[in-house]
Amino acid sequence: MSTAMQGLRLTFGAALTTTGLLFGTTAMAVDVTVWCWDPNFNGATMKEAAERYKASHPDFNLIVVDFAKADLETKLQAQLASGTTDGLPDIVLVEDYGAQKYLQSFPGAFQPLSDKVDYSAFAPYKVELATLEGQTYSMPFDSGVTGLFYRTDYLAEAGYDEAALQDITWDQLIEIGKAVEAKTGHKLLSLDLNDAGAIRILMQSAGSWYFTPDGEVNIAGNPVFKAALEAYAKVLQSDIYKPVSGWTEYTGAFTSGEVAATFTGVWMTGTIKANPDQSGKWGVAPIPKLDGVEGATHASNLGGSSWYVLSSAPQKDVAVDFLAEVWGKDVDFYQKILVNQGALGSLTAARDGEAFKASDDFFSGQPVWQNFTTWLGEIPGVNYGLFTNEADAAVAAQLPALKDGGSVDDAIAAIDAQVRQQVQ
Amino acid sequence: MANPDLRRTDRLNGWLFVMPALVLLGLFMVFPILWSLWMSFQTGRGMTLKFGGFANISRLTQDPVFLHALSNTAVFLVVQVPLMIILALIFANVLNNPNLKFRGFFRTAIFLPCVTSLVAYSVLFKSMFANDGVINAFLEGVHLISEPIPWLASPFWAKVVIIMAITWRWTGYNMIFYLAALQNIDRSIYEAARIDGVPAWARFVYLTIPLLKPVILFTTIISTIGTLQLFDEVMNITASGGVGGTPSDSTLTLSLYIYNLSFRFMPNFGYAATVSYVIVVLVGILSFVQFWVARDRK
Repeated sequence: MSTAMQGLRLTFGAALTTTGLLFGTTAMAVDVTVWCWDPNFNGATMKEAAERYKASHPDFNLIVVDFAKADLETKLQAQLASGTTDGLPDIVLVEDYGAQKYLQSFPGAFQPLSDKVDYSAFAPYKVELATLEGQTYSMPFDSGVTGLFYRTDYLAEAGYDEAALQDITWDQLIEIGKAVEAKTGHKLLSLDLNDAGAIRILMQSAGSWYFTPDGEVNIAGNPVFKAALEAYAKVLQSDIYKPVSGWTEYTGAFTSGEVAATFTGVWMTGTIKANPDQSGKWGVAPIPKLDGVEGATHASNLGGSSWYVLSSAPQKDVAVDFLAEVWGKDVDFYQKILVNQGALGSLTAARDGEAFKASDDFFSGQPVWQNFTTWLGEIPGVNYGLFTNEADAAVAAQLPALKDGGSVDDAIAAIDAQVRQQVQ
Repeated sequence: MANPDLRRTDRLNGWLFVMPALVLLGLFMVFPILWSLWMSFQTGRGMTLKFGGFANISRLTQDPVFLHALSNTAVFLVVQVPLMIILALIFANVLNNPNLKFRGFFRTAIFLPCVTSLVAYSVLFKSMFANDGVINAFLEGVHLISEPIPWLASPFWAKVVIIMAITWRWTGYNMIFYLAALQNIDRSIYEAARIDGVPAWARFVYLTIPLLKPVILFTTIISTIGTLQLFDEVMNITASGGVGGTPSDSTLTLSLYIYNLSFRFMPNFGYAATVSYVIVVLVGILSFVQFWVARDRK
């Protein structure tokens, strides 16, 4: 019985393959697998893109596999290192900080897209991040332009309106936090002491990074890094935040209404908007500025990522065509994911679309997308280099000491020594 | 080795029988061990490796993260292994008492933790020791503490949680060895000691422990090896956002550092292999010391 069935299935399969070979476009489903994190954001935008591509390619089937970001990165790295390509997806999401690490460590693993995608249509900084030796490997996706997301109702109760949150410093943010807690009983922020993301935001807002554009360590003797640590140490020593551990606890604190605000990348919009009952109670202000630092701005970046096609992928041609067709030129698609997920794409043409100009009722009628686009243009450019994870680990190791009032200079010396040792 | 009475074909037959096992052992054990030794002399990023001589070893001596991981591992080893061995000995002795009621139940209950999945129990511990978890709620409920203990946020308490977790999981495992060994001790020895008026604690210290010495040595060595390879707990209990060893690397172990070097940081498999050989050398030295301490003095 079972052998007969198997034989039948084999014949059937062979017949299908033959027709597929003969006629090219039959009803054979083409499965394209994508690995990404954050189903409310990356996963949702990918599914939307697949729906659009399906309209012209009915046999296209997209499988989105959802991981935690750290899990995806370690899994990808482990599998690329193993040398076996079985089980790798066709498309994978890579955060901008890690792009060059993968491209340089695993030459040949990713498919260059330079001859399939018109990169002049994208924000140049995103293209540069994924370019190695004249070839560009990514389909640029979202920007991580930062903003201060806040609960308008809590802040109003404490006496702060939209205008009062423009052009503030980090010290002023602490004052606001104290006022909010005194008036409403809510902490202002939720912070994870194991996460160095805040330091990255502060540094880039003044045009600096852990590394110089040439890739040299730029920590000891970097005035911006010192100012960033000092400003963040003051926040950590203040009583304006709820200490959290891990992403779920962090986002849970402000989506549940327990804390009043968070400063983060624009991609957090999807998570915040996932609570429709809070519509009209949120606003977005520019992030505070580093006080007394030359070149300090209210604009910075956190995260942001792009799609990469694995050169070993069985369906890589379909995957490339899908990315080029939808992500490469569909302006209307970018309007939709902007409003629904807060995905601020890098396709410059999309920014003339309707959605980018509209105000958003969820954010109390503020023209948030226009604001984010303006801030995006103001982000000081930096070179992320290859060792962001290493530097992050070194910074995170010193944050508890800074919280307890430890010396910033000692922390900088320790971070510098650790990073120098790790970047070989 | 060769038995002259055996004919040549018999000897050949013997080798043929063990051949499959030897080939498999060679392929999946000896070869990877030698290959990783070769890798530990390579430097470079990702798949672009080149021979670096002793570069990795000199890097070890200057690497603050490695030294930090080494000292954390040493703390776990020095505190946790003796604690667990002593606890296991006490439990085994108590549960060996034929007058104790529900012996079977207690034995099973204490042994049960070591058959649970490492990740499953880690997740459970993480939630129990959360700031608003059941442990803090209980301690506050009985008024032992007024402020929640920052179990997972303070470097000291995070180490305590890890030590409690591995002790909970592995004490029963060691206890089973002692229980089995206790069954083999002749009852008449204890009877004679009792008649001579030796008190219970002295029977335990001067009879039970010396008679269990080979088993204690064995469990100490496997516990040492296990603690040196500690990974799952620090990757799951004291982890935040997929990054283990938190807070501020206070629970970073050597195994976790190897993982970070290979899969989280810029992949550096050569250096990771070097760190893994540090564990091999440590296991060798510590086992030798333990054998030496427990040797028969004649």
